[in-house]
Amino acid sequence: MLGLCGELDLASAPLLESELENAVLGPSSTIVLDLNELGFIDSTGLRTILSAHERARERGGQLLLTGCSEQVKRLLSIAGVSERLRTITSPDGLLV
Amino acid sequence: MDLLVEAGAVLASSLDLATTMGQVARLTVPGLADLCVIDLRDDDGSIRDVAVAARSESIPGDLEELRRRYPLDPAGGHPVARVIRSGEPVLLPEMTSELLSSFAQGSEHAKFMIENDYRSAVVAPLLARERTLGALSVLRLGDGDPYSAQDAELVYELARRSAMAIDNARLFSELRSVERRLEAILANLAEAITVVDEHGRMVFANQAAADLLLIDTPEDLMAQAPGTIMPRFLVYDEHGRQLDLEQMPARRLFRGERAEPLLVRNIIRTTGEERWLIVRSSAITDPQNGEVLFAVNVFENITQVKRVQLAESFMSEASRVLASSMDYGETLQRVARLAVPQIADWCSVDLLNERGEIENVAVHHPDPEMVALAQRLDRDYRRTPDEVAGVPEVLRTGEARIYTDIQPEALAAYAHDNGHLQLLQAIGARAVIIAPMFGPAKPIGAITLVSSESLRRLSNADLALVERLARRAGTAVENARLYTERTVIADTLQRALLPRSLPEIPEAQLQAHYSAAGELNQVGGDFYDVFQYGSDGWMLVIGDVCGKGPRAAAGTALARHTLRAAAMSGKSPTDMLGMLHQALLLQPAEADLCTVCLVSFRRTSENAQLHVALAGHPPPLLIDQHGDARAIGRPGTLLGVLDTIEINESQDTLRPGETLLLYTDGVPEAGRSDRQLGEDGLMRLCRNAPQLQLRELLEHIQEAAVEHAGGRLRDDLALLALRLTP
Repeated sequence: MLGLCGELDLASAPLLESELENAVLGPSSTIVLDLNELGFIDSTGLRTILSAHERARERGGQLLLTGCSEQVKRLLSIAGVSERLRTITSPDGLLV
Repeated sequence: MDLLVEAGAVLASSLDLATTMGQVARLTVPGLADLCVIDLRDDDGSIRDVAVAARSESIPGDLEELRRRYPLDPAGGHPVARVIRSGEPVLLPEMTSELLSSFAQGSEHAKFMIENDYRSAVVAPLLARERTLGALSVLRLGDGDPYSAQDAELVYELARRSAMAIDNARLFSELRSVERRLEAILANLAEAITVVDEHGRMVFANQAAADLLLIDTPEDLMAQAPGTIMPRFLVYDEHGRQLDLEQMPARRLFRGERAEPLLVRNIIRTTGEERWLIVRSSAITDPQNGEVLFAVNVFENITQVKRVQLAESFMSEASRVLASSMDYGETLQRVARLAVPQIADWCSVDLLNERGEIENVAVHHPDPEMVALAQRLDRDYRRTPDEVAGVPEVLRTGEARIYTDIQPEALAAYAHDNGHLQLLQAIGARAVIIAPMFGPAKPIGAITLVSSESLRRLSNADLALVERLARRAGTAVENARLYTERTVIADTLQRALLPRSLPEIPEAQLQAHYSAAGELNQVGGDFYDVFQYGSDGWMLVIGDVCGKGPRAAAGTALARHTLRAAAMSGKSPTDMLGMLHQALLLQPAEADLCTVCLVSFRRTSENAQLHVALAGHPPPLLIDQHGDARAIGRPGTLLGVLDTIEINESQDTLRPGETLLLYTDGVPEAGRSDRQLGEDGLMRLCRNAPQLQLRELLEHIQEAAVEHAGGRLRDDLALLALRLTP
């Protein structure tokens, strides 16, 4: 599980990208991105998340989002990816 | 009566208790007494003799020895003890051996009194402020006349006056001990403290004050004549205004004004050392009439704190100025103005121009005549890059230089001729710092700071500050130069990527607006396009390719041309988007993400039929004739990332008087993330749409977005609007 905070944009996306790269190649098949502390995502940030989602899916895994703010939900909806990116209300159940 | 007069003089002469009582006792011998003893009661109630005087030389010593060994019992029958207890005087005209034995403190005491032939005695209480401080005893020994009531009255009176003197002396000694304690505290305080009277005389100073005012000891400091200390310093307020003695808080107090703590910049004339002090003064007033007797000055030295604070605020202000504009000639002039008088009296900035010449681009001094002088110096004696010292040297070596304590001979040696020397002398440099401004490879200029009439000594801390400033300024100049070049390129490229002009659509008005993001002079990823679609329709396109710069430019070009090509081959909006998606996926390496909004437009008899297809793009707004806006279209997947996309076309109708507005996310996302303009904000802006021309509406929205972003857009924004001609 990865927790994000601050703003995910052109400047910070490469950081997340390398983290997600590691996570996707790791042993766990499910990656949870906790966006609870995240104030803002722009399109670069969205691409990073979507790319990771695609790679995880190719490997038979999945990428889940939790703690999505209204802005993030809106962005996902406009991007037409709400139905593809599963969002969960709380990550706790997955940590057993 | 003479005795009382003499006693009065003695009692008034000194405030030292033991001395005074000794004198009083001696006054009574031999005129009034053969032996006089003054006893005082201590705080614990015990009685001790403080003065003994006698006609016989041996008696005082013997008596004191005896009293030491056999102290008077405060509760006993000795007349002194009784008088102290009762506060009432006692006259013992005739004392028999039996009487003496009855109150003796033992046989030795009795023997002493009998052997010395104690005959007659008066014991009077020492009464002051209704307290018995002790007793005054006079005795006649041997054959003298016994004391009369008249003698007793005289003794009472003497005792009364002595008591008052003792009381005063005690008060004084208490006061002295409080004072001594206070003085010890003040003397050891780290803060410099002085106490001055209304004539400016210093009545107290501690060592810290002496150190601060450059005098060896507090005593030497207090011995200075009033008004001779301040001229050793240059004193300014924090705004650089020179202050005189009358503006000091202490002088204000004596004038009956309020004296707020004063922050002063203090420069030692002899050395040029600069200190920052907070001067606080409070008044000591006469309790009777409220007049100010003394002013207590406390000087707190905050030089270190102030230096760091000034350096930081100066740097942040300078950085702000340097970042504020890409016109570096003007920003450097503003930086020069900032440095004076905070750091030095002069600031000048030189740049190497494209021909490799040293060019003065900014110079500042508070006096315009002095600035003219410097400009004349630059014009008449322009420095050449091969000169050994000064700016040319720093530009060659890239090393900052500091010259402290410049002597007249050094100026003379540096000057080319007499005229040059005169100009240099008029500028009056006393210390100089020159720091290089670096470009990517080598120095591109230098900042020079000169201390002259302020006598301010430039320190290594100043050198470090000026080096920081020069580095920052160098970067700013370099950026500005690059910016100018790149702005031209980016502008050209962007214009190539956006339609040169919009087509004329019959019976409709069309308007577009594009704003590049703030300071980044790079090509943005937003694009728009309008072209004919089918035989009787038009296609409005707005989109956003993720990112900025060359990559986004390539993505933008790809998007526009793919969509145009797809439209010409008669593809539906969904298929057009599918083609672009495939094209993007075929891009090498990391796929480009792209969002697109397509609105096709076909005129019907009165209205227009709209077909909306969205691919990850914010839905367009349809603004009715009342200014109410609603989003139209259904969400579809963004392009270039996921394997498959899903597009949902929808239809709507545009009526005369209504406005169709397409926009990119740079519009609602303008402003800081926690308070963006938002879609709601955009809809509010649309309320005025019916009253505005399309051009006015788009300008209105763009201005609001820029204002919301505090003048700096972080993303570019594009707007496209359509309205039917009524």
